Amino acid sequence: MNNNGSLVVKTSNLTKHFGKTLAVDDLNIEVYRGEVFGFLGPNGSGKSTTLGMMLGLITPTSGRVELFGHDVQKELPRILEKTGAVTESIGFYPYLSGKENLEYISKITRGINSSRIREVLDLVELSGRENDKFSNYSLGMKQRLAIACALLNDPEFLLLDEPTNGLDPAGMKEIRQLIIKLGHEGKTIFLNSHLLHEIEQVCNRVAILKKGRVVIQGLTDKLMNKGNVLQIRVTEPDKAMNALQNVNWIDSITREEDKLLLGVKADKYAEISRILAEEHVFLTEMKAAENKLEDYFLKMTDEGKNA
Amino acid sequence: MLDMIRGELFKLRKRNLTWILAVVLAAYFCLIFFATYGIVSNPPGRMPAEVIEHIKASLQFPKAANLIFHTANNIGIILLIILTASSIGSEYGWGSIRQILTRNGTRHNLVFSKLISLLIITFIGLVISVIVGFILTVITSALLNTIGWDFVTAAFLQEQLQNFGWTLYSLLPYILLTAFFAFLGRSAIAGIGGGLGFFFVEAIAVGIFNQAGGWLAKIPNYLIGPNVEAIIPESVFAQGPFSFNGEPLSALHSSITIAVYCIALVLISLWLFKKRDLTA
Ligand SMILES: Nc1ncnc2c1ncn2[C@@H]1O[C@H](COP(=O)(O)OP(=O)(O)O)[C@@H](O)[C@H]1O
Ligand SMILES: [Mg+2]
Repeated sequence: MNNNGSLVVKTSNLTKHFGKTLAVDDLNIEVYRGEVFGFLGPNGSGKSTTLGMMLGLITPTSGRVELFGHDVQKELPRILEKTGAVTESIGFYPYLSGKENLEYISKITRGINSSRIREVLDLVELSGRENDKFSNYSLGMKQRLAIACALLNDPEFLLLDEPTNGLDPAGMKEIRQLIIKLGHEGKTIFLNSHLLHEIEQVCNRVAILKKGRVVIQGLTDKLMNKGNVLQIRVTEPDKAMNALQNVNWIDSITREEDKLLLGVKADKYAEISRILAEEHVFLTEMKAAENKLEDYFLKMTDEGKNA
Repeated sequence: MLDMIRGELFKLRKRNLTWILAVVLAAYFCLIFFATYGIVSNPPGRMPAEVIEHIKASLQFPKAANLIFHTANNIGIILLIILTASSIGSEYGWGSIRQILTRNGTRHNLVFSKLISLLIITFIGLVISVIVGFILTVITSALLNTIGWDFVTAAFLQEQLQNFGWTLYSLLPYILLTAFFAFLGRSAIAGIGGGLGFFFVEAIAVGIFNQAGGWLAKIPNYLIGPNVEAIIPESVFAQGPFSFNGEPLSALHSSITIAVYCIALVLISLWLFKKRDLTA
């Protein structure tokens, strides 16, 4: 998976200052083809700024962004041909109908045939309302029009900045299902969100951003402990590591000081205490590990509590 | 680029504002022609006969051409300031500027498509002015019982073609000035305020400099307004009995001065727009 052909996004030491504000701080992330990548962080953590730099709307203070192996600063038009984006505040013309807005975007985008407008309207379920003025659309309809617009050029890569912001639960669900569907179709998706459970539902990989820095990243399932993770504390961690390292039914061992996180099924817990006892290592604590991602996120943000 | 211009024209065509401004244009022409006719059909007692004759002539061809182009310039400046500011500034207000740039990533394309589409609209507006002005002249001539067509000569037509070109050129600096302010302030209000503000403040400044005399009186020669006045057909009220003894600016001097402003404004707008971040 790690060859360059499948690398869609690569940021290298990407940094952005707005005056004295450090919005994005030395960011290094990679997104691979076919991934639905979640960029999770509280408001003001630098998600939109990062997305702006990927789209060439914002010039980095230092570092660089490559999309499809092309430098955004140098080869933007080539990149945009394969990209669709929904930016944070949706930009359409209020005096045009939904359909006319798409017609306008089609006019200025190369290689869109007129039947595509019908297709994307159907996809986001706006058909029937396409002739209403954009100014009369509900927020949910506006968001769906924005997604339809982003899909006009049938992009390989889709960037979405908080596409469920301000929607009611039903509207949120619709959009999330649409994103999941697009992910299944093989599109690479970069989703900005401040909602942990949204990322959890939709994304297969996630990076958490705090004050412009990535604090943790990895596969969503792993970070959410979708498998079984056992947390133990022992009298002699080094000895325990040695004893457990070669056990083939333990998927992973992570050490955090005197705490060990073991990737094992629940029916093996007794077996583990037996192995350790044989090595004269004794358990001081044994429990199913907490949800690491949630833990992290809750500590970091107030929004996480309401999510 | 051609697609972008077509897109701009599509948006302008669909926008009510464009049509409202077209109606204002026609209405203003009617106002000028009928008000002027009103004066000469029922002149104040103390108005000299010479002046009445002069104004009457300006409502008929061939002299009416001056009135048409001069009126087109006067109202055109105001209407184009509004249209240009809205065309550029609204994109910021609606956030659609980011939508455009995530589709067509080259920023100078956006700037040029805006300016070129506005130039095309200006051309169309001027054609409308000529048509409306022509109809109004026919009407006022009929009211003055002096309809005749012998003014239509090749020389007359050629001169009017030139006048058309000069008037078009005279409107350009105001479009570019307004565009600059709209880009600078990232809003329609900034464009309208900057464009109209410059227009009025400059007019006042010109008056003051002219009064001041000496080298200060030379400054207006390098401002926009006096040079625009110099290249468009003379106003009815600057001719004949109204003419004053100012030394006129040469067409060459004025064209160059205007061109310098235009080029500078385009370059600054481009630089500004390319340099700045488009944050949400
Ligand atoms: N145009 C701007 N000028 C100054 N500061 C800005 C600007 N845009 C964003 N910021 C600051 O940069 C930081 C990151 O903002 P943003 O990328 O919008 O965060 P997020 O999308 O995660 O909510 C915030 O502190 C914000 O105040
Ligand atoms: Mg944001």
